[in-house]
Amino acid sequence: MALIDQTAIEIAQKIKQGEILAVDVLDSALERVRDVDGRPGALDDGIRSLEDEKKVHAFISLTEVRARKQAEEIDRKLQAGIDPGPLAGVPVTIKDIFCVKDMLSTAASRILANFTAPYTATSVARLEEAGAVLLGKVNLDEFTYGSSSESSAFQPSPRNPWNTAHVPGGSSGGSTASVAANEVPLSLGTDTGGSIRQPASFCGVVGLKPTYGRVSRYGLIAFGSSLDCPGPITRSVEDAALMLQVIAGADPKDSTAFERAVPDYQAALKKDISGMRIGLSPDYFNITFPDPATGELAHQEIQNEVKKAVYHTAEVLAGLGAEIVEDVPMPNTVHGIPVYFVISRVEAASNLHRFDGVKYGYHTEKEVRDLNEMYRLSRAEGFGLQPKLRILMGTYVSAAQYSEQYYQRALRVRSLIRGDFEAIFDAQGSYHLDALLTPTTPTTAFKMDTVYGDSVLMQYTDQLTVTANHAGIPGISIPAGFDASGLPIGIQFLAADFREDILLQASYAFEQATKDEAWRKVKPQVLQ
Amino acid sequence: MSEELITPEMFEHLVDLAAIALDPSQSDYLRGELNKQLNAINELIAIPIDESIPLAAHGVPYAQADASPLREDCWEACENPEEILAQVPVSEDGYIIVPDIPHSDLE
Amino acid sequence: MTEYEAIIGLETHIQLNTKTKIFCGCKADSWGAPPNSNICPVCSGLPGVLPVLNKAVVEKAAILAAAMHADIRTISYFDRKNYFYPDLPKGYQITQYDQALGGGGYFEIPMPEAYVRRVRIHKLHLEEDAGKTKNEQGRRLIDFNRCGVPLVEMVTEPDLRFADEAAQYLIRLRQLLRWLGISEADMEKGHLRCDANVSIRVKGSKKLNTKTEIKNINSIDAVRNAITSEIERQIKEVNAGRRVQAWTLDWDDETGKMKMMRSKETEADYRYFREPDLLPLQLDEAWVKDLIADLPELPLERRERFMVDYGLPLYDADIITGSKVRSDYYSSTDASYGGDPKTISNWFINDILGMVNDLGITVDALNITPQYLGTILKMIDEKKINVATGKSLLKKVQETKQAPEAIVVAEGLGLVSDVAAIREAIQAVIAENPGEVKSFRDGKETLLGWFLGQVMREMDGKADPKLTRQILVELLRG
Repeated sequence: MALIDQTAIEIAQKIKQGEILAVDVLDSALERVRDVDGRPGALDDGIRSLEDEKKVHAFISLTEVRARKQAEEIDRKLQAGIDPGPLAGVPVTIKDIFCVKDMLSTAASRILANFTAPYTATSVARLEEAGAVLLGKVNLDEFTYGSSSESSAFQPSPRNPWNTAHVPGGSSGGSTASVAANEVPLSLGTDTGGSIRQPASFCGVVGLKPTYGRVSRYGLIAFGSSLDCPGPITRSVEDAALMLQVIAGADPKDSTAFERAVPDYQAALKKDISGMRIGLSPDYFNITFPDPATGELAHQEIQNEVKKAVYHTAEVLAGLGAEIVEDVPMPNTVHGIPVYFVISRVEAASNLHRFDGVKYGYHTEKEVRDLNEMYRLSRAEGFGLQPKLRILMGTYVSAAQYSEQYYQRALRVRSLIRGDFEAIFDAQGSYHLDALLTPTTPTTAFKMDTVYGDSVLMQYTDQLTVTANHAGIPGISIPAGFDASGLPIGIQFLAADFREDILLQASYAFEQATKDEAWRKVKPQVLQ
Repeated sequence: MSEELITPEMFEHLVDLAAIALDPSQSDYLRGELNKQLNAINELIAIPIDESIPLAAHGVPYAQADASPLREDCWEACENPEEILAQVPVSEDGYIIVPDIPHSDLE
Repeated sequence: MTEYEAIIGLETHIQLNTKTKIFCGCKADSWGAPPNSNICPVCSGLPGVLPVLNKAVVEKAAILAAAMHADIRTISYFDRKNYFYPDLPKGYQITQYDQALGGGGYFEIPMPEAYVRRVRIHKLHLEEDAGKTKNEQGRRLIDFNRCGVPLVEMVTEPDLRFADEAAQYLIRLRQLLRWLGISEADMEKGHLRCDANVSIRVKGSKKLNTKTEIKNINSIDAVRNAITSEIERQIKEVNAGRRVQAWTLDWDDETGKMKMMRSKETEADYRYFREPDLLPLQLDEAWVKDLIADLPELPLERRERFMVDYGLPLYDADIITGSKVRSDYYSSTDASYGGDPKTISNWFINDILGMVNDLGITVDALNITPQYLGTILKMIDEKKINVATGKSLLKKVQETKQAPEAIVVAEGLGLVSDVAAIREAIQAVIAENPGEVKSFRDGKETLLGWFLGQVMREMDGKADPKLTRQILVELLRG
């Protein structure tokens, strides 16, 4: 077992106890990256080789020199008897949607390919203050728009470490791939419609979307301002609790970050779950999507192995004393994607207004007659298809003559979706659940180049995760086995506002109860 | 609903509002995807909704105690405004430079 | 010949005098600073930044709303107004669209022609300012220093009828803003900017016709000139059988020319929606109540009161209550002096204001305190000095900072009321000027003034003028 194969808690502990050096852990990470990652994503991607198809390609920017300085500083502090923090010497990757001072912060887009941020995002700063070592920025769907990471302007885009012919999921595909390939134990991702949980499920790792407002969004290049949540991606539940502890909490730079005390998540983890009421909802066992041929709404059951994994999880939890409650109605789940199409696009279109070639980033080289032409060319040349699609849809559904019909309506349906969760989590209600247990995704990871291009089908992979974003509640995806082809299956817990402790508790209980099961010993394709 | 809601004319108008220049093949693909998405979105229109259902700008409700206090009126100097300026593609003597915007004279 | 009347509404943007910008900690006032030096990631619209609302902005805006007798909403919302312009870094402006801080209310404008125009206020809302643009040979130079400066936009109903009323509106608004201490309201520095909406209609009609919007009006004169010019243009158009189009116009006060900016038909769709990065602005009801109760006496209220309490004419009261410090000075003088308020007013308007103008300061910076002025006036009343001496004392007090009584003693400026001394001086003058004495006695009584002057000179200006005149008449008439 290499140094970098350990959990963050193990690494930090050993570094603090003087058993290992931070620089040695860094070297272990770098060696792993050299072995499995292949070439990083770049604008000038050239031709994809057979070699490329066997690698992970999690990275956009590997910042070795900077990381080494950080690691050396950690070792120096320890020599001087100073505690470097709870994440001392732990290498982390950052989804390249966060601004980090003096680092390229690209959003995986040509329009920011040359942008060096002059400031650091709060969540990243907190990780660094806790002693984490920033290994680099990892790849994602352009501006986080997508569910496969394929839309990145920096190619090759990340691949699933379990089977590199398949996608890692998205938009935090680089984050989950870097963790699943044991390049780092921790990655900072973001979840707007499922972008932490879905790729975590596809890559067989732990992905936590905190309650909206639990973690500061300052420095996160915005997609859906009322939906975006930074969150931890790890291999163990304990690591997720630790990482959340470090990044959570109010921030004077973010008016939407809640002024609420951060509980001790690590203490909460290990609590006994007997008596915990966990619900199962039929509305999460099938998906509804428009038939590509007729345009009519069609229903489809989720992949059978995924369904089985959820029921197996329920059995394990019941065995530990939890109460499983079946047939919990969540009738507005089916509206999640249409509402998301509207709300996220309106916010995205507006958030992308600032990319105009004037202040930073890409600026057209062509001769322009006037300012308008400068805008139009810079934006056309700088943005990929996915941003353009979102900008146009957002513009349409918020246009004066359509806003009432689409945007205002969507905001009301959002209340209905929220209402479903309030009803089931209400302590005085008929269900009074602590958590809802669902599949994370309707299928396991699909093959690369198969879904991309069909924007509707791609979006519908988020149907089971997006409801939590609309409602603002927290959700976690944890690995629960593999399908017949060896691809990871993830299961999801959802809980009420600020009950990340319940999510961690249930996840930890399941993780510990199944820790010796055979499937946990299987290694990803790239590590074999 | 296979009826095309976004006509080529409407699409042009959106492209204009969005300040993006598109070539014909991109336009076709994007307009097609938009119309497909609208089919999905139009499902929303069928949902019975009355005015009493609140507009949820955020999912989680903010009580007064949850809201961070308003900022005190104290100067906080940015430590590196020159680094912000250094990101500007076309600048001169501290100004950001852009091409002119056409004005028309009154007869 | 058809008679038309003009219908005018004004939108003013008021720059609040808080220390920092509305959504970040940069300075609100960066007049004279090098371009793009007063910026930070937030106000320059970098990717990933978020706005945080300045408390003082809310307080000052609420005070203005209260002074306008407007309803102050206890919950108001911020919205995004989306459009592209180089001085707008985020590509949207954070403003308040449909649920603004204040709505309704009115502002009364006294006109020199002795009537009052009451202008209803449609709404007051908070928003952030954009940067500055400079034109230069086919390109534009952008400076973000002003991005994010807090503005209150106040929109009136179309209740104004004359260009002069619009000018008076700005004059009175400027006075009020300074009075309340919420804005420096210096139009030359852009603290107070104005857009005018102008339409015309046949006199007596109740219909509202298409209006044009005139932007970029940056002085009182410009507002008068621009509106006058536009009214004339619209009348010409209508008389020629054409329709007025809903143009947006740009006024150049130097050349006196109007340029068309853009037609409203193709105006950008701003796609307003609730700003998700800010929470609703919630004001405590008790706080709002206290705010309204604690409002200081406003300029026109005080003017009214001074007319009643001090028996002053409108002209005097208007000048004295032109600013809060002036009226405070006046009140303090009155409290100290206790004599005729009109006397104070005369001295204040003629002498004190003249002096502060020359010195380029405000009355509260004078060395002549209200108490000193009161003392001088008392000494005159008590005939310890005469008026001329009193006036020269003003200068001496200002220069030396000494109390007037002390100067009078030190320089022996006391009024002479010694009858014998006066008689002696008069007799000397009479003896020296037999010709004039004869003329006087022959009927040229206007020479009395000349004699008085001669006696005063004889007595170094210190003689009690009333007494002197009395004795002079007695002796001249023989």
